[in-house]
Amino acid sequence: MKLKAMSRTVRETIPLALFLFFLWLIFTEKTNWEHLLLGAIVAALFARISFFMVGGRLDPNLNWKVALRFFPFAALLSWEIMKASWDVLTRVFRPSLPISPRIIEFDSILDSDIAKTMLANSITLTPGTVTVEIEGKRFYVHCLAQEHESGLLEGKLERMVAWLFAEGPDDMRGLR
Amino acid sequence: MSDLVSEFFLVVAAILVVNAFLCLYRGAAGPTIQDRIIGINIVNTKTMVVLLVLSTFLGEELYLDIALVYALLNFVVTITISRYIET
Amino acid sequence: MGSVAKDVLTVIFGLTGVLFFIGGTVGLLRCPDLYSRLHPATKCDTVGSCSITIALALQIGLDIALFKIMVVILLLLVTSASSGHAIGRSAFKTGVMPWHKKGVVPWPLKGEDRWTGR
Repeated sequence: MKLKAMSRTVRETIPLALFLFFLWLIFTEKTNWEHLLLGAIVAALFARISFFMVGGRLDPNLNWKVALRFFPFAALLSWEIMKASWDVLTRVFRPSLPISPRIIEFDSILDSDIAKTMLANSITLTPGTVTVEIEGKRFYVHCLAQEHESGLLEGKLERMVAWLFAEGPDDMRGLR
Repeated sequence: MSDLVSEFFLVVAAILVVNAFLCLYRGAAGPTIQDRIIGINIVNTKTMVVLLVLSTFLGEELYLDIALVYALLNFVVTITISRYIET
Repeated sequence: MGSVAKDVLTVIFGLTGVLFFIGGTVGLLRCPDLYSRLHPATKCDTVGSCSITIALALQIGLDIALFKIMVVILLLLVTSASSGHAIGRSAFKTGVMPWHKKGVVPWPLKGEDRWTGR
């Protein structure tokens, strides 16, 4: 069966169907042919239905390069998350509760929806900052203390996400 | 796995249950409705981790599937209620 | 890796997880307002559950249960940040004012005015 001969919708449905079938294998733990057949049918059906509901198209910014770059990005991000959690933990346990929270806003350099989603999730998981609202390119972020504000406005996270999706101005990309 | 580690993790599960009850205070007494959602969200997360621990150290395979459903329901409930009170 | 070393590592990761979970609870009970309560709720709980999962994975070894636990914990990683964001957004839109110390402007400032609020 040639891939070119299939319609575009079918080609874009196949990765999702394979992923769902993999989940089916993990959660049933059975390898009878009946179970495999049932899993294949259910996976194909659900992939088709969800593409029908979403609109029949993956985000065009997602490709194999992004998938490859995701691993160093995830490693750096998890290190940041550990530091952030330790910071919040020490603040919470101190009897004087050294916090001075407020909401700040800033404009992002990122364009596409998926990059902004990734940036919002990263901000929520790292140093004392929670994204509360996005309007267009403007981010409203709640910061726990002044160190967190300055850390956020340096834009290290933003540069990481810009590197991941190859977006924004060239000099703003990079892991450091 | 040794018996000592198994007993240690049962104590861990007990501590987590006590923590969940403390979080339930925030769910009952929170001044705004969002405080209650956070409280319930955290209680659900802790319940899920307790289920994972029990399934490993008591040998109950079924609890893993229940933990998955718990995580999914937790997410759906949080998103639905917060989008509902937003409008 | 010897069996004893594995058990010691498991206990260390388990203790770390419990510490983070207790921190999340204490933060939830002590913080003054909704937005600050979001911080321990989204961060400490995520790290605590990941740490306990690593401990469990060390004890289970290579097994089908390991994959199941991995699926559950990846789901938790993706969803906890999103739910925190959703709760914060609903509070922001319904106009819940953030708690602030005296002399601090609690609401958005942009551009060059960013630092004058303190």
